[in-house]
Amino acid sequence: MSAQVSRAAIVWAIVRKDLREYSRERFFVVITVISILVYGIAFWLMPSSVDESFAVGIHQTGMDDIFAAAMEDQGVGIELVQFETVAALEAALGMGDAEPEEPLAIGLAFPNDFLQRVAAGQQTTVRVYVDANVPVELQRAMESFVREIAYALSGNPLPVADPNREVIVLGEDRVGAQVPFREKIRPLFAFMALVIETFALSSLVATEIQARTVTAVLVSPTRVSDFLAAKGILGTGMAFAQAVLLLLIIGSFANQPLILLCAVLLGAVLVTGCGLIAGAAGKDFIETLFYGMAFMIPLMIPAIAVLFPGSAAGWVQVLPSYGLVQAVVQASAYNAGWLDVLPHLGTALGWCGIAFAVGLVILKRRVETL
Amino acid sequence: MSEEAIRVDGVSYAYGDVKAVDDISFSVAQGEVLGFLGPNGAGKSTTIKLLTGQMRPQTGDIAILGMNVAKERDAIQGRIGVCFEEKNLYLNLSAKENLHFFARLFGIRDFDPTPLLQRVGLADRADDRVKGYSKGMQQRLMVARCLLNNPDILFLDEPTDGLDPVSSQAIRRVIEEEAERGAAILLTTHDMDEADKLSDRVAFINDGTIAALDTPENLKLAHGQRSVRVRTRENGEIREQVVPLDASDTGDQLKAVVGAEGLLTIHTEEATLEAVFITLTGRGLQE
Repeated sequence: MSAQVSRAAIVWAIVRKDLREYSRERFFVVITVISILVYGIAFWLMPSSVDESFAVGIHQTGMDDIFAAAMEDQGVGIELVQFETVAALEAALGMGDAEPEEPLAIGLAFPNDFLQRVAAGQQTTVRVYVDANVPVELQRAMESFVREIAYALSGNPLPVADPNREVIVLGEDRVGAQVPFREKIRPLFAFMALVIETFALSSLVATEIQARTVTAVLVSPTRVSDFLAAKGILGTGMAFAQAVLLLLIIGSFANQPLILLCAVLLGAVLVTGCGLIAGAAGKDFIETLFYGMAFMIPLMIPAIAVLFPGSAAGWVQVLPSYGLVQAVVQASAYNAGWLDVLPHLGTALGWCGIAFAVGLVILKRRVETL
Repeated sequence: MSEEAIRVDGVSYAYGDVKAVDDISFSVAQGEVLGFLGPNGAGKSTTIKLLTGQMRPQTGDIAILGMNVAKERDAIQGRIGVCFEEKNLYLNLSAKENLHFFARLFGIRDFDPTPLLQRVGLADRADDRVKGYSKGMQQRLMVARCLLNNPDILFLDEPTDGLDPVSSQAIRRVIEEEAERGAAILLTTHDMDEADKLSDRVAFINDGTIAALDTPENLKLAHGQRSVRVRTRENGEIREQVVPLDASDTGDQLKAVVGAEGLLTIHTEEATLEAVFITLTGRGLQE
C-alpha cells in the first residue's frame, strides 16, 4: 500500500522524469546545443556598429581647396576619395576589367577644364556615377553637390535665399549612434531559442499521449492538474533557461537585466502554452510539428519586423509576441526603463495567460478522453 | 473469500448514443479472481476505466474497498494496481527508472525495485532501456509496475495477450500469488483456458451487459454440452463420431459405438467456456 504523497512531490517526480527523458532524446539535445552555438556565433560575427558615412570617388584637378570647403559645409557622412585619372576612378567603381575589393557606389568625374569653363560661363559636363543600388535621393544629392561646386567656382551665389533649416528628429536622435543590426536581431535570436524548446515540449507531451503513458500516470494518485502543472513548469523552465543562456552568450544583460529576464520569462510561458496546444492536438510527429509551426511563425513576425523599421503593419501589433519583442528591444538597445516597457509587458502577460490557459484546457480534454 | 473489494451497482456509460456499459452489477471479493470475458467492443475496457476512476459512471455506483470511486479517487488509486493492454512504459528509461518513477507517484520511500524485477524475471536487465525489451519482457515489466504499491485490487487487461509461453507462465504465476496474498483481481482476457484456470468466477460481457456470471464449472455445467468423441476404423477409413452425454438415448448410442469393430479411441469432452459464451451470446470471443 502506498503512503500519503504530496502534490508537490508528484509534480516534482514528473518533472524529474521528463528531464531524464529529454536528456536522452538525442535529436532535441543536439538541436538545442547547435542552435545556441550558431546563434551565439552569428551574433558576434555581425557588425557591432553602423557606418553612417559613405565614400564618394572623385576625379578633379586644381579644385582641392574648393572641395575641402564644400566638405566642411556638407558636414558628416561623406568621405571623398581622390583619383588621379578617370580610368582609375572607373576602376574603383568596378567598371574596369579587375573587380575591386570594395567597389565604390558613387563617383564624380570633373573634366580637367571644368574650372576654366565654369569661370568663363561655358557649358561643361560632369559625370556622376551611381550604383544601381544607391537610393535615388542620394543620386539627387550628388547632382546638387555638383551644382553647388559650380556656383562656388563661378563666384555666383545660389539663385535663392538659403533658408535657415531646423531639423526636428521624432524620437531619439540616433545620428552618430545608430542601433546596429545585431542589436536589432537580439529578440529574434531569443525567440528562436524559445521556439526550439517549444518543439521539445510539444514532442514530450505528444509522446505521453500517443504512447498512453499518461494513462498509467493518472491511475496512480496523480491528478490531471499535477500532470499539467509538471508539463507547464518543465516547458517554461527549459525555454527560460535556454533563452537566458543564449542572451548571456550574446551579452544582452548590460542594459536593464531585470526587464529582459521578465520579458524572457513571459516569452517562455507563452511558448509553453503553444507547446501544450501543439502537443495535445497532434496525433503524430508530423501533426505536432505542423501545429507547432502554425503557432511559432506568427509569433516570430514581430521579432522579424524589428529588423526592418517602418515595415511592420498595424496588425503585427496585435500578435501575442509583439509586446515581448518591444520590451526586449527597448530595454536592451535603448536602455528603456520599467515605465516605458510596462504597457508592453502587461499586454504580453495577458496573452501569456490566454495561451497557457488554452494549452491546459486542450491538454486536459485530450488526457481525459484517452 | 471474505470482504467485498469491488462492488458495482447498476452502472451505465454511453459514448454519445452508443451504450458501452449498460446497467451492470457485480462484486469481487478479496482474494478472488474474476475473469471478465467478452469480444472486442463488448465494454470490458470501459468497465475497467470506470472502476479505476479514469471515467465517471453516468448512472449507478461503484465502491472500491468500501469507498465511492467518484468521491475518493485519490485514496482508491493509491491502493489499486492497473496493468493496461497497451504497453504504456517509458521506453527511454530503464526498468528500474520506470519503477522508481511510479514509486515516487505512489509516495513509496526507499523503494527497491530489485525484488519485483526478480519476481518477473527481469532483474538481469534492470538497467537496460525498455525500448530494447521484447514484447514479453515489456509486459512482465507492466505487471511488475502494477504491483509496486502492493495493491489490494489488481486490474489486469489482457496481461498475456500475444506473449510467448514463458512470459505467459510467469504472469499467470504472479496472478496466482497475488490472489493467495489476498488481492482481488479483475482479469480481462480472450484466452478461455487462462480464464478457466485462473478465475474463481467469470463474467461474460456482451454489448455492454453481463450475460452470465458464475464459476467456470457451474457455467459449463449449466450451459455446456458434455460428449464422448469416438474414432473407429471402418473399411480402412477412420470415422469420428460425437455422442452427447445428456441425450435420452446416450446409453444405447454408447453401447453401439463401443461394441462396434474397429474402435480406435474414445474420449470424454467437457464443454468449453468459449462454447458456453457462444451459447449464451450467439457470438464468438474473437469477433
